[in-house]
Amino acid sequence: MSTLTVDNVTKTYGDVVALDSVSFEIEDEFVVLLGESGAGKSTMLRCVNGLTHPTEGEIRLNGDPINGSRSDIGMIFQQHNLVDGVSAYMNALTGSLDRTSTVSSLLQQQNKETKERALEALQTVGLLEESHQRTSQMSGGQQQRVGIARALVQDPALLLADEPVASLDPSSAESVMDYLKKAASVHEVTALVSLHQVNIAAYFGERFIGLRDGEILFDVSPEKLTPGLVDDLYGNVETVGLATDNSDNSTVDTSDGTRYDTETGSDGTDEVDVIGRQVES
Amino acid sequence: MSSQSSDSRLRDLLQYFGLASVGDSSVEKKLTDLRRRKTVRRLYAGLGIVIAAIVFNASLNAVGFSLTELFAQIPQFTEALGEYFPPTTYYGIPFIDFMQYWNFIIAENLFAASQITIAIAIAGTILGLPGALLFGIMASERVVPYPFNFVFRATMSLIRAIPALVWVLILIPLGGVTPFTATLAIMIDTTGYLGRLFTDELEEIADGPIEGIQSTGANKSQIVSFGMLSQVFRQFIAWIAFDLEHNVRVAIGLGLIGAGGLGLELDIQRKTFHYTEMMACILLVVLLAGSVELLSQRVRSYLRDDDEVEETGILEAIITAPKKIITATAGRRER
Repeated sequence: MSTLTVDNVTKTYGDVVALDSVSFEIEDEFVVLLGESGAGKSTMLRCVNGLTHPTEGEIRLNGDPINGSRSDIGMIFQQHNLVDGVSAYMNALTGSLDRTSTVSSLLQQQNKETKERALEALQTVGLLEESHQRTSQMSGGQQQRVGIARALVQDPALLLADEPVASLDPSSAESVMDYLKKAASVHEVTALVSLHQVNIAAYFGERFIGLRDGEILFDVSPEKLTPGLVDDLYGNVETVGLATDNSDNSTVDTSDGTRYDTETGSDGTDEVDVIGRQVES
Repeated sequence: MSSQSSDSRLRDLLQYFGLASVGDSSVEKKLTDLRRRKTVRRLYAGLGIVIAAIVFNASLNAVGFSLTELFAQIPQFTEALGEYFPPTTYYGIPFIDFMQYWNFIIAENLFAASQITIAIAIAGTILGLPGALLFGIMASERVVPYPFNFVFRATMSLIRAIPALVWVLILIPLGGVTPFTATLAIMIDTTGYLGRLFTDELEEIADGPIEGIQSTGANKSQIVSFGMLSQVFRQFIAWIAFDLEHNVRVAIGLGLIGAGGLGLELDIQRKTFHYTEMMACILLVVLLAGSVELLSQRVRSYLRDDDEVEETGILEAIITAPKKIITATAGRRER
């Protein structure tokens, strides 16, 4: 149970307004931030994480104002931002730094629960067997999953992810998103994830916030995420509507296992307007 | 007629240097402009050459450089060469008499002297390491904010401004002209020299991992160790190997002024005009410095390459043990 309140947040860099009076509140949801590059998604996440501070307004987690990086907010970065030279296990352990003194963290003298917690987190992201491997030897998708494990070891109340799958191939992207969603639901945390890929967003998101030029353009539930809204957000981009165009074609090629492709099949009648939303049949 | 032709020649010349216009069109004006720029560049280049020549000449005069003396001394040098490289015949073929070197090396126990030199380098490097780490890290702007990091930077600059040879002279009251003093001098030299290499390496690190660690709510010293030092750990080990190699050379130099080891033997033979023995020492110096360099190169290339280093044959046996030590030290895990 956690509530993130973003209250009238404005962030300017010199003359550039990155965020303009943004307000929203999320509670135990898997929320996706959508928007063009430069729309303010990263700035939003960095403000919530405490890596940077809003020029005006306030961000609160369970009523408690956020003034700096803290361990109950886990962050997953696009570029992983892991410690390269050491094992996945060591990287997961860095999630416990806040609870460990400098000396004991350097000597790896964390207590048994912390160590087990790190391994459990790696198990959650499906990397228990690989946990001794150096992260620099891992694939992009695996590294990102180590990033998720690190965030989980922090025992967060809020999970943030800044374009976690932007540099991954479709299949790795999907598996990373799967693990991210699983992590969020297993640990019952609120998640705020920025994404570029509308299809992935539509498949995984429980609520969508669209940012444009630092302002909120829409804040909707999955049923209301229509191609029209997406067009408003990105302008008229042909490729974004791809999945919808395919939706009335029941023989969509899914041999590569991209489940977020629309596959409404024969009973896909009233869901046609919803992008990439898989319908349980 | 003749005055007319000299006039036109002068105009050609002025045009060539861009001092007279070649025409009125914009292309011709630009051509004149480009020629004038070229003339200015030529003048500066000429001035530079003249200044360099003057400084060079003054330097030669200052050091008393004289080709005449060089030629006058050639017979003496040839004679010394004969002693440096004593001739003998193997199976009738004239060659250098290596046995003379070998006998001297054994008689004077030069291998023990080499050990002293290596010991000075190793002890000095390890003793200087904590200082180098402290100063190297504290001098980085990312760790200590701008004006304050300069205290550490300046201290290292001061240390480097004084060569190790001079540090020994300064420290003589502490320990006399001995290997002990040489070790202390190398310790100080390492703090300034290796510390500076560490600082430079720290300037290159990426922001990502620092933010990654910061986002977990880690404190400042944890951010420094996990976010920053973790990025340069292997480079640091490589620089330590490089500095050890450097310190072996310094230790030989320190021996020359009497601080023991191979350098001291070399100096004794020079002072007593035993040129053959002196060359024996020099050959050992080459061997010593060469093998340390080879080893340090090996360590560094292994650390810098992510791929496995290829080893074959006899080398493998020699390489495997140190590799395992490095693997364990640098925290690299076997796949």
